[in-house]
Amino acid sequence: MTNFVDYLLGGFSNGAVIALMALAIVLVWRSTRMVNFAQVGQAMFTTYVALTIQQSTGSWILALVVAMAAGLVLGIVVFFLVIRPVKNSDSTGAIIATFGVLIALQAGAGMIWGGDPQGFLTPVDNSGIEFAGRIWPISLYDVLVLVVTAALVIGLTLLFTKTNLGLSMRAAAFNPEVARLSGVRVNRMLITGWAIAGATGAVGGVLIAPVSTISPNSFDILLVFAFTAAVIGGLDSLIGAVTFGIGTGLVISLVSGYSDSGNAPIVALILLALNLLLKPDGVFGHHGARSV
Amino acid sequence: MLHTEDLSVSYGAVQALKSMNLTVPRGEVTAVIGANGAGKSTLMRTLAGLVRPQTGQVLLDGVSITGKKPEDIVRMGVALVPEGRSTIPELSLEENLRLGGLWRDKAGRLESQQKVFDLFPILAERKNMRADTLSGGERQQLAIGRALMSDPRCLLLDEPSLGLAPLIVTQILELVSTLAKETNIAILLVEQNAVTALRVATTGVVLNLGEVVKSGPAQEISSDEELRHAYLGY
Repeated sequence: MTNFVDYLLGGFSNGAVIALMALAIVLVWRSTRMVNFAQVGQAMFTTYVALTIQQSTGSWILALVVAMAAGLVLGIVVFFLVIRPVKNSDSTGAIIATFGVLIALQAGAGMIWGGDPQGFLTPVDNSGIEFAGRIWPISLYDVLVLVVTAALVIGLTLLFTKTNLGLSMRAAAFNPEVARLSGVRVNRMLITGWAIAGATGAVGGVLIAPVSTISPNSFDILLVFAFTAAVIGGLDSLIGAVTFGIGTGLVISLVSGYSDSGNAPIVALILLALNLLLKPDGVFGHHGARSV
Repeated sequence: MLHTEDLSVSYGAVQALKSMNLTVPRGEVTAVIGANGAGKSTLMRTLAGLVRPQTGQVLLDGVSITGKKPEDIVRMGVALVPEGRSTIPELSLEENLRLGGLWRDKAGRLESQQKVFDLFPILAERKNMRADTLSGGERQQLAIGRALMSDPRCLLLDEPSLGLAPLIVTQILELVSTLAKETNIAILLVEQNAVTALRVATTGVVLNLGEVVKSGPAQEISSDEELRHAYLGY
């Protein structure tokens, strides 16, 4: 039982990062109805940018902020690279193009920063907290990860539900024609969606980097987990992405704890397959919202 | 006043509108009627900027809005209530309304919202409900309300009677025609249901295969038996 609790607790911060990546995937889905497989590549790239900032200034906060800004910009760049040329013809083409962007980003990062895994310093202690006579599998850094994730999720929720920009973005996602007829500049909203997704993914990258080390391919596995969480959550639901992101983190932690961490991706894929068989619209999805 | 000059629209080889001249004066309802495929919806979508005309012009109070984007046209004062599902079911009623005039300042928006609530009191009662919990008639009122939130000079209504009970349609349209008179808005109403449309309209325009075959006072059109048989099928 102690093991079970420990494994569960140990999965939360990893789950939070998966939730952020899933959120990024959902934000892109909501704006352009497609999956951006380059999302983790963008996060990897911006994490390298953050690493460079951290190494030269020593400031973690600054690194995080710069990574977010870089994520915004990269999101817009990828939108224009991928969506604009192929959008009018076929969205399948655009989805495949995002794989191209992923490969290009990985190659580019390898050329700039090299292929060897690099460590990323944590701003606070990353060893288990000692409390009530034992060491718990949660560190101060895990708490920071959870706090930053929660802040971002709350911020995004407020943006979408309380602001005019958020309303415009939701309208553009749900019904572009009615949105345009209401005066919403839909294309600008789509770009904004990609930009916010880029920044969200960037935060996820910076948060996971100290735990996983960073190399051009080190986030690939995150794509599997985040995609699973996003799809099970319904692809267009922010709550779904966060819930199942954290859920996936817990499952991975349990699977890794009781068997081997190499089994985690297989379990994720089994969950994904089960979901598609049993509830193809996702748990929080709007029925018929998916056009694949 | 909304005015078109020699407006032509083609979809490939099919000419949907053939050099159409149309005037929609302020303060009254102009009804465009005609059978399915007469070009009614194409006309509306072209006026709102969703379809680009091949030739001709659309003028709003003398200013050309031809070829502009829909999001700019609505800001200039022409609001379209499109056919069918033109509310967003995932948003609340209040959000659907707010969407209609997001670019305006808050005071102007609140003023328009109050006008909409005065016109359709049921919407004020259901303000916080999701749009998909509303009845068909309420949803149509909401769609018209959303368009009014842009404080339009010209309101385009595309088949508001679709899927609604005749009594509800008549009620909504009478409110709209009163609104046109009181606030001096130009209203263009496109309908397959000619009887209802001509009852509230001042002027009637009969469309067939993309051409205006007859226009004149609504009463004259509705009593023209020959016209009815030939183009309106009743």
